[in-house]
Amino acid sequence: MTATTVVRKVHTVTSVTRAIHLKGKEKPPRGAFGLMLPGLIAVALLALAPLFIVARNSFAVADNYGGITGGFTLDNYAKLLDPVYSKTFLFSIGLALLNTVICLVIGYLTSYYIVSRPEGKQGFLLLLVIIPFWTDFLVRTFAWITILGSGGPLAGVLGIFGISGFSLIPSNVAVFLGLLYSFLPTAIFPIYASMRSIDGSLKEAATDLGCSWWGVHRRVILPLSKPGILGAALLTFIPTMGVFVIPVLLGGGKDPLIGNVIVTLYTEFRNQPMGAAVSMVLLVLMFISMALIGLALRKPKPKGA
Amino acid sequence: MDKLVNGIARGVFVFLYIPIVAVIVYSFNASGSSSNFEGLSLKWYAELFQDGQLLSTLRTSAIVAVITATVATAIAVMFALGSARYRGRGKGLYLAAIALPLIVPEIVLGVALLSVFSSAKIPLGVPTLVLGHLIVALPLATLVVISAAAMLDPSLPEAATDLGCTPWQTFTKVYLPLLRPSVIAAWLLSFTTSFSNIVMSTFLSGVGSTTLPLKIYSSLKTGITPSINALGALLILLTLVIVLTVGVNQMRRILVDSRS
Repeated sequence: MTATTVVRKVHTVTSVTRAIHLKGKEKPPRGAFGLMLPGLIAVALLALAPLFIVARNSFAVADNYGGITGGFTLDNYAKLLDPVYSKTFLFSIGLALLNTVICLVIGYLTSYYIVSRPEGKQGFLLLLVIIPFWTDFLVRTFAWITILGSGGPLAGVLGIFGISGFSLIPSNVAVFLGLLYSFLPTAIFPIYASMRSIDGSLKEAATDLGCSWWGVHRRVILPLSKPGILGAALLTFIPTMGVFVIPVLLGGGKDPLIGNVIVTLYTEFRNQPMGAAVSMVLLVLMFISMALIGLALRKPKPKGA
Repeated sequence: MDKLVNGIARGVFVFLYIPIVAVIVYSFNASGSSSNFEGLSLKWYAELFQDGQLLSTLRTSAIVAVITATVATAIAVMFALGSARYRGRGKGLYLAAIALPLIVPEIVLGVALLSVFSSAKIPLGVPTLVLGHLIVALPLATLVVISAAAMLDPSLPEAATDLGCTPWQTFTKVYLPLLRPSVIAAWLLSFTTSFSNIVMSTFLSGVGSTTLPLKIYSSLKTGITPSINALGALLILLTLVIVLTVGVNQMRRILVDSRS
């Protein structure tokens, strides 16, 4: 293949060129910024500018059809205090917190398990986490309808014990299981990444110094995997509140999350200013949690190892 | 304690595969209801391929995903090569900017784009779907290529020029062969991101541009059918093929190493 020969040739010349160029003054590579430009323009036009428009719309007055008429009002935010919305916010935050905490605990234990295996086996275990992670979100969700629903395998097992007509669809238990299932792999990756960079001899040293299992975790592994744990928290907490498919399919839409409210306001009620205000709440919650995580990472407790 | 952790972790792996196994098993169930198993059958798969509506949404999803993946990968490769060579100020800021759509809740990005399109009176359809999917696929594709491009020797372009390569030849004969695994990975992962996207599509699809996930979602609202399990099993197979093509080592670099 010509390409491979060129690559090989270029590699040999590379070392020579570098030696020559290192002597002369370093020339800044041309066109580097130009190459980054399409990506930056895409983000500016398709993410940043639209987000500013949402922020603007959240203060806009709605016409009778829910369109934007301009103007400036705080009414959209005032309406969020209505129990219809505030109840959803509290429920979403509560469920997202619960999901995050459980994902972190299970994610931590699973990551610790993977890290403790021999290097060769770690790749395989990681693959086992990667496959569900990339599996279609809807497939991962509707599988639970079959498993937990009436006539499913769980109902079948309970039927043997004389419990008939069992179904967890729709229920909040099913919603919770669906959320846990969706976000667990997301939580495992960053925690595993942090744990993998911990020097294995630290654990041995701590054990030799008389640390119990709990002591090793509390004083060594937990503090050192903090960046990964906090990263996992960020990747779980905010996205959980934006989910709308799971509450509809597994919960029957009885207890909506913030995501459901946004979808309903935009696609059914066509009330764009209200939808924008609810979206801003999600965005503000995201900034708050990012700030809190930034703060937590800045002050590492010195009582670690 | 370690024994308890091992037990929990094994339980987690079982938990992760219960739904996947359930979908595959029930897709072969000859009986129409999930309560009884009447032997193996491929009839639900056959039913899928006779559903004209379903096939047309599959076509829409495939078209959108191919365009999205190609554009996202092209932009990602340019960005990665640019950032590997960039020595000026603000590099951290540019990298943060490209990763921004990963952190902002997707649903907010979706309504944000919908607001733009509706105020600019742009009709919703395949182009708006592509733009929406592009912004969620781009950060991912970029991270994939960046981690590979950063490992390349920075004096490669000069060496290639000394050998008489034009900038385009440097790209096609030096960079592209070296980056090929990560370019393929970026394309495949962008493709699945777009193909399985439901959040962006909820807001950005128009009449006649219903995607496959939207069609699955709306039919699930009325109840689950055995043919949906067959479709799910095929999508699981697609995931498996993509994950194995990208390879464990590269996956690990993308999902684990880029975070530490």
